Amino acid sequence: MIKMSSVTIHTMVNRRNYELSVSPNQTLLRFLREELGLTGTKCGCEIGECGACTVLIDGEAVNSCLVLLPQIDGKEILTVEGLALNGTLHPLQKSFMDNDAVHCGFCTPGMLMSAKALLDKNSNPDENEIRTAISGNLCRCTGYVQIVDAIKEAVK
Amino acid sequence: MKTFEYISPKSIEETTSLLAENGADARILAGGTDLLIELRKENAGAPKMVLDISYLKELKGITSTDGTISIKPLTTHTEVLHSSIINQHAVLLSSAASVIGSPQIRNRGTIGGNIMNAAACADTVPPLIALGAKITLKLRNNSRQLDLSDLFIKPYQTKAQPEELLTDVSFQNLPPGAKSSFIKLGRRNALAISRLSVAAILLQDKNGEIVDARIVPGSVLPTWKRVTEAEQLLIGQKPSKELFAAAGRKVSDVMISYTGRRWSTEYKEPVIAVLVKRALEKCI
Repeated sequence: MIKMSSVTIHTMVNRRNYELSVSPNQTLLRFLREELGLTGTKCGCEIGECGACTVLIDGEAVNSCLVLLPQIDGKEILTVEGLALNGTLHPLQKSFMDNDAVHCGFCTPGMLMSAKALLDKNSNPDENEIRTAISGNLCRCTGYVQIVDAIKEAVK
Repeated sequence: MKTFEYISPKSIEETTSLLAENGADARILAGGTDLLIELRKENAGAPKMVLDISYLKELKGITSTDGTISIKPLTTHTEVLHSSIINQHAVLLSSAASVIGSPQIRNRGTIGGNIMNAAACADTVPPLIALGAKITLKLRNNSRQLDLSDLFIKPYQTKAQPEELLTDVSFQNLPPGAKSSFIKLGRRNALAISRLSVAAILLQDKNGEIVDARIVPGSVLPTWKRVTEAEQLLIGQKPSKELFAAAGRKVSDVMISYTGRRWSTEYKEPVIAVLVKRALEKCI
């Protein structure tokens, strides 16, 4: 039984191992932004409606605002900062730029992570599957068309 | 966020013993999609203790034994909607799971949380009641089983004691040849809270006559239940547009008999009738 004001968690964030003693009274979102300085994950509504805080836990897209920090013990987290590898952008990131899928940019990290979760499971999604995969991510600028185009192109 | 004691029990027994000691002071954390919002609300009370059961593997998974399907409460909506067992024997439940929230919510939210949070718009509840689901609640070392339709008092309030833990949801396979459907009406397609929903099951005999009919609307009656008045209209009849429309009107009538005429009735009265008709048409 764990019963204390701080809890020890083992986790991997963007391929790096951490062993941390943390306060359990915080969300994964706040921890990523305020403790690890990974501010690419955006804080939007904080009630699971906008998807700006989407990260992957063991490959599944989740709203990091709805995850209590101790719940990531033993799990692997991937944030938008972990998409690029060795200085090379992920194909989705390049495709988002090529297709003008980034307007104000606030939804972009979440969109990229939802798209990544989709492509990791389904290497050839149709438009319907793409639209379902990003249905938990709000964008108020693009009207979604360029974002869907960007994901389609990244598949190629 | 408010401060609370965080405990991650290592077994069902440890969880039920902590619940027995702490009762209403403790809240269960499963998928967190409802509880995390509550823990951050400025002007609401905070629990003294959060019991994180998300690591309890024995509360996860879907199994099928001799025609009975058992879903453990920590099974996520994503797991339900991809389950071959559910898609084969209770497809209306996977239809309902597929329209909850968003992919992110479905990856975290659990069927147990959906039931025990008891929001009027809980999408898995109408299909589960149509399937005749029973739930198991554990208090210390004693378990009791009850019909899911008997659990609810009103939205956000159940007959479960604060000391009880939901440990199982089970129901019989749909009979061979039965067809089922779930329709949800939200204000938009994604991330919508159900305004109205309908779960329906129909079974016809070899002459095409309806021999089993189950209709459970969501967000329509004070609590969920089968609308037997409408189901009775269908039994022994052959499907037709007129028959399904009449069943839809009957559900509207039953709704008004419970709720009276409210500001929303002008909208709900015709709309629930059409949704019932459409749900039944999808069962043919």
